[in-house]
This record gives sequence, structure tokens and C-alpha cells, in this order.
Amino acid sequence: MSLLDNINEWIYSRFKIKDLLTSIVKHPAPDYAVTNPLYCLGGTAFLCFLILVGTGIFLAMYYKPTPLEAYKSVEHIMTVVPMGSLIRSIHHWAANMMIAAVMLHMMRIYFMGAYKKPRELNWVVGVTLLLITTTFGFSGYLLPWDQLAFWATKIGTGIAGSIPIMGQYISLLLVGGTDIGAETMTRFFAIHVMVLPLTTAILLVLHFAMVRIQGISGRL
Amino acid sequence: MSLTETEKKKGEKKDREPVRITGLPFFPHFLLREVVVMCFIAGSLILMASIYPAGLLKPADPFDTPTPIYPEWYFLYVFGFLKFWTWDIGPIDAKMIGVTLPMVLWYGLLFMVPFIDRNPSIDIRKRKVAVALGVIALLGILYFTYFSIVHH
Ligand code: HEM
Repeated sequence: MSLLDNINEWIYSRFKIKDLLTSIVKHPAPDYAVTNPLYCLGGTAFLCFLILVGTGIFLAMYYKPTPLEAYKSVEHIMTVVPMGSLIRSIHHWAANMMIAAVMLHMMRIYFMGAYKKPRELNWVVGVTLLLITTTFGFSGYLLPWDQLAFWATKIGTGIAGSIPIMGQYISLLLVGGTDIGAETMTRFFAIHVMVLPLTTAILLVLHFAMVRIQGISGRL
Repeated sequence: MSLTETEKKKGEKKDREPVRITGLPFFPHFLLREVVVMCFIAGSLILMASIYPAGLLKPADPFDTPTPIYPEWYFLYVFGFLKFWTWDIGPIDAKMIGVTLPMVLWYGLLFMVPFIDRNPSIDIRKRKVAVALGVIALLGILYFTYFSIVHH
């Protein structure tokens, strides 16, 4: 018996994990989902999310969410921190790719009619995920605190703030004052690194659970 | 677990999962395809990140408005629509409509798609209305994105 077998045996005799795993591991994926690359889009979005979490944790270790230090800390990441420039750029590209993948994934669901009974609620969870993904982009855009970040956020919060009824609350919640400043930064930072990742994770569990329970839709 | 036990388990499962038809087991076949796709994605990300690093402009200056200010590409259509819509409807201000329509109404419609489309067919030839509306929505978004870039 090798060491690996021993470890396996030790764990198995206590937790029986293998019994649970076989049903996952042997679970058949239908042929049409394996051969049609359109079915990869959801998984692509998910992989991007994982990469964003990983690179995001790295960035959060160097980033300082105050108007005085934010720009300098990003500059520091780009020029001094080992691999900092690469990691920030991967974060940037994974964010864009995730949005594109989510949109294309949604188009596949729409044009294949995969939202129909019994999958209505998974579509609703999906649209919420799309909203969250774009909000991720919006909140992340401000954080480097450069000219584009500041002014795009000013215009964006201005637009969100002029939605009837909800607008004033949205802008109070987001801006935290009358103008984009330190309050806005900490809010956007908290939303970007705490609120959105947590809600995304919860919704993804729901999303995947529903796909698993209902099976992937299809014919072709 | 022995092979026969696994088979038995699968047999039991079948009754409860009529949705599942023939296919490849998740492991290793399906996962292998996933891993290939993942490598491709990770590779393209690293490539893009190396060739086009994330930018950083001058530090923010609240007293100096730069031009042009572009939002992220996936918000361009919202700006485009705001610029496009210049007509008041009765007492409702054109700006108000330009803001509300693409954000509130559009997302509201998106959420409602499964409840609006009651046609049970998933055959694309029997879903002409849904497909046409989808194509129109897509073209609209593309057009307003284009509009926001041209009329900057
Ligand atoms: C963070 C974003 C999202 C992730 C990571 C994600 C992930 C996935 C994955 C991995 C699947 C399995 C099938 C496939 O990949 O095509 C799936 C299925 C599904 N997704 Fe998403 N998704 C996301 C957003 C959305 C959006 C925006 C919608 C629609 C508005 C949506 C609606 C659905 C539906 C209805 C299914 C079931 C499809 C079927 O049974 O054929 N998802 N999702």
C-alpha cells in the first residue's frame, strides 16, 4: 500500500467522502453539452470570477482606499511590487472577459430558450448575476483614483442618481455625500471587495445547484 | 467502492433523474474538456495582460474635467441612449426618460423574460417572435453603443 492509499483509507474510514464524490464524478454530462462550445460560456464566466478573487486578494493587500493614497498605492503595485503589474492587468482583463462571457452566456440561454419551465428562477438569478457583474466593474473603476476613474464615476453616479424615486437613495448610498470623495472611496471599496463577492458566491451556489437539480436543458 | 456497487448506485439514481440522458461522465471526460478550455482562457488572459497592461492616467483632479470621458464599454449603451433620447413626453423630462428606460425598464424586461414568453417550445423555428425581439434588442444595444462613441 502506498502512502496515498493510506491517506485515502484514513479519510475514507472517517468521512466516507468518496461515496459523495462518485455521484458527482460519474455524473454524466449530455453529449450536446460536451461538444457544443456555447455551453462553455457559463464556466468561462465562473473561471474568470475565480481568477478575479485570487488576483483581487493580491491587489487588496497593497491597495489603500483613501483619496490621498489610492493612486500612489496603485502606482506602487504597477512599478515596485513583484509581478504587481501583471497581476493588476490580469485582474483588469479577467473583469472584461467575465462581463463578455456572462453576456454571451445569457445570449445562449435566450436564443436556445433554456430559461423556460422549469428554469425560470435560474434566469432570474442569472440576470441578478449580470447586474452584479456590471456593478463590480462600476465600483472597481473608481478605485485607482485617476482622472478617468474620478470623472466616469461622477457621471455614472449622476446618472444613477437621476433615476426617479430610487435615484436619491442610490446616490446617497453610493456617494455618501454631495461629491465624490473619501466617503465614496471607502463605500466603493467595501462594495467591491465585500458585498459583491459575497452575494456573487451565494447566487452562484444557487445557480449551480439549480442547474444540477434540473439538469442542463437541451435537444439539438 | 466496488464497481458493482457504483453501478447499482447509478441504477438507483436513474429513476430520480429522468432529465439525464446518455453522455460522458463528468470525470474524467467532461473535466478534461473543461481543463483544456481553462488553460486556453488563462493563457489568453496572461497574453492580453502582458501586451496591454491595465492603464493608469494622471491622478484624479476634481477641478479639471478631462475629455473625452468614457465609461467601461458595457455601460456605453446607457450613455448612448441618454444622448439619443431628446424628446419630452408630456410632463416627463427627456433626460428622465433617457435615464430610466435603459436602466429600469430594460432590466425589468430582462428579469421578466421567462414570464413574458409563455411559448413552451425550444425549437428555434417555432420561436420567431422571441428570436426577433432578441435580435432587435441586440441591435439596439449595439446601435446605442455606437451612438455614444460617435456623438461624444
Ligand atoms: C456570474 C455569472 C454567471 C455564471 C458564472 C454562470 C454559470 C453557469 C454555468 C456554468 C451554467 C451551466 C451551463 C453553461 O455553462 O452554459 C449555467 C447555466 C445557466 N445559466 Fe448561468 N451563469 C452566470 C450568469 C447567468 C445569466 C446572466 C443568466 C441569464 C440571465 C444565466 C442563466 C442560466 C440558465 C437559465 C442556465 C441553465 C441553462 C440550461 O439548463 O441549459 N446565467 N450558468
